[in-house]
Amino acid sequence: MVSSPADTGSDSTASRGRGRRLASVFRLGVRRLGGKLTGRSSTRLLLSVTGIAVAIMLMTAVSGVALGLASQNAVQSEAVDYWVVPEGGDVQTIAVSTGGPQLGEGHALTAELASDDRVRYATAVLLQVVPLEGPEGTEYVLFVGAVPPAEATPTIAGLPTDPLTAGDPYYNDGGYNGTWTGEVVLNSATAELLGVEAGEELAVPASDESLSVTTVADAEFDTGVGSVPVALVHLSELQAIRGATQTDAADQLLVSTTDAGVRDRLEGIAPNTVVVTRTGLAAESVSTSSLPLAMAAAAFVVALVVGVLFTATMMGLEVSADRETLGTLAAMGYGGRSLTVLVVAETLTLATIGGVVGVGLGGLATVGVNQLVAAFFGVGSIAVFRPALAGYGLAVAVVIGVCAVPYPIWLSRRGDPLAVIRR
Amino acid sequence: MATESATPPSESDPVVTCTNVRRTFTRGGGDGIGGIGGRATAAETVTAVDDVSAALSAGELVGLAGPSGSGKTTLLHLLAGLDTPSAGTVTLAGTDTQSLSRRHLTRLRLDHVGIVFQHFHLLPALSARANVAVPLVELGWSKRRRRERAASLLERVGLSDRLTHRPGELSGGEQQRVAVARALATDPTLVVADEPTGELDTATGTQVLDLLREVATDRAVVLASHDQQALDRTDRQLRLRDGTRVDTA
Repeated sequence: MVSSPADTGSDSTASRGRGRRLASVFRLGVRRLGGKLTGRSSTRLLLSVTGIAVAIMLMTAVSGVALGLASQNAVQSEAVDYWVVPEGGDVQTIAVSTGGPQLGEGHALTAELASDDRVRYATAVLLQVVPLEGPEGTEYVLFVGAVPPAEATPTIAGLPTDPLTAGDPYYNDGGYNGTWTGEVVLNSATAELLGVEAGEELAVPASDESLSVTTVADAEFDTGVGSVPVALVHLSELQAIRGATQTDAADQLLVSTTDAGVRDRLEGIAPNTVVVTRTGLAAESVSTSSLPLAMAAAAFVVALVVGVLFTATMMGLEVSADRETLGTLAAMGYGGRSLTVLVVAETLTLATIGGVVGVGLGGLATVGVNQLVAAFFGVGSIAVFRPALAGYGLAVAVVIGVCAVPYPIWLSRRGDPLAVIRR
Repeated sequence: MATESATPPSESDPVVTCTNVRRTFTRGGGDGIGGIGGRATAAETVTAVDDVSAALSAGELVGLAGPSGSGKTTLLHLLAGLDTPSAGTVTLAGTDTQSLSRRHLTRLRLDHVGIVFQHFHLLPALSARANVAVPLVELGWSKRRRRERAASLLERVGLSDRLTHRPGELSGGEQQRVAVARALATDPTLVVADEPTGELDTATGTQVLDLLREVATDRAVVLASHDQQALDRTDRQLRLRDGTRVDTA
């Protein structure tokens, strides 16, 4: 004889905490789903997971491309806290944006900021594509002109500044008649293209001056359309090569500081500029760019719509096929709310599993996209995959589950669940 | 066991009673699809159970006998609170089932009724132990207590070595024994079994009937069956034909 617990009645009453009960029912739904997915009759559910995974994978990959494009609009440099960039410019990759709006009085702004005790270092930066002639021929190289700080040795555009003479001797208070250093720091891609090593001379076809390679740095510079050959020179010398001495032109100001109060000073330092922080970099880019934002938004909408429709349909079919079980549970005493929780649990769990798989596949797809682009277009990484993107993919998967669940809930509550038992 | 003749059902604290219950169903009828167009057909009213009274007490195993269409299953559903009568009253655990809302009737079943189905209706994705514990989830029991209770019941029905097996890994007889254990999970006052041996061979069916006989010691058990062997194991039988009792004088 089965001996029931002596206090079954009181236990039943005490145990009916609704939250605990529904949580247990939710776990039952998760467990059921797990059992179905590993069972023989799991084709429909596996299709559901696959559908969500594919939607999330595509969204993650496309968003990764959008993020890659958006995050490459400014010179990435060590320990830079703020960028001052011209406002209203169309944010694209660095190589393309070298024709965009510029700042004037780059050296004056640099000196003004550098004199602030709160600033570790500051420099105006000019970006220009310049033909460079070496033993292997002439190649177009992305030149980065900057004013190397005296008391700090940051990297700018991935290239070290300490091989260059501190300050900007050729500028000479605006006369552009000081000592021409001709110093240039190349990255290994540039050196390889031109066939030069440290200590060798390079001719600039656009100028009478020549440059001397001080250092070849093992650095890659991704611009959003791939790794490009890049060279670091003094700002005034680049301005002279490109005929930009009249306005002392620069594309950006880089500022490194430990004091957040510096931002207020930067806000008004030059007309028609905006101040961007490191964390806000991609956001600023996305907010002023149509392409990355459009790509990300389109990917989100497509993933959401396709995911919701697919999940709702497949879970609706699952509920319809599961009527006998729902009827059995109702007969045993499961209330309508509990049956709804079961459906919710299975749908959300399904969506989450699809999201996890989709994020993983999205990471692989990102690698695949970059490899394809490299193979067919000869450029480096165009898409990025960051932990935040994984969280974003999972969150969208959960949203898909939440948006899709009303339909299977409605199906499960339509009619009397006991009808199938009473047949 | 012979069919009931001179011995009336026990009237001391009956677990469930039905008094002059009638259950009718309306089938067919309407004006085509959605009431728009189509050929009009007359609705047919079917009386599945008509003016049936009975009382079941703890400690007895009662059989519902009768040919197909006699109303056995309908009466079983009325007694179990799975349905409510069109007329008359069904009193389960002291409560008139018609007076309850659907939600409260569901809770009444959870607390007082265990159901054994002909086709077992186990959840295929769960183990035997998890299946037995399913009613206890709705009661809000903790996982540890659910597992203990389920293991105890499975041991009781002779399946202590099948705790982690899924229904697909069990024989028909084992599945039905799991179903019986599940029906006992909440320690109900009434167990109903609809053709519990319908899917089983004779030997296995006998095992299940023995189990139900044992279960009936502390509660009322009623089983509906075509199987005379099963009916012979009951303490008394209610015979139905065309929805009415034919076993009373």
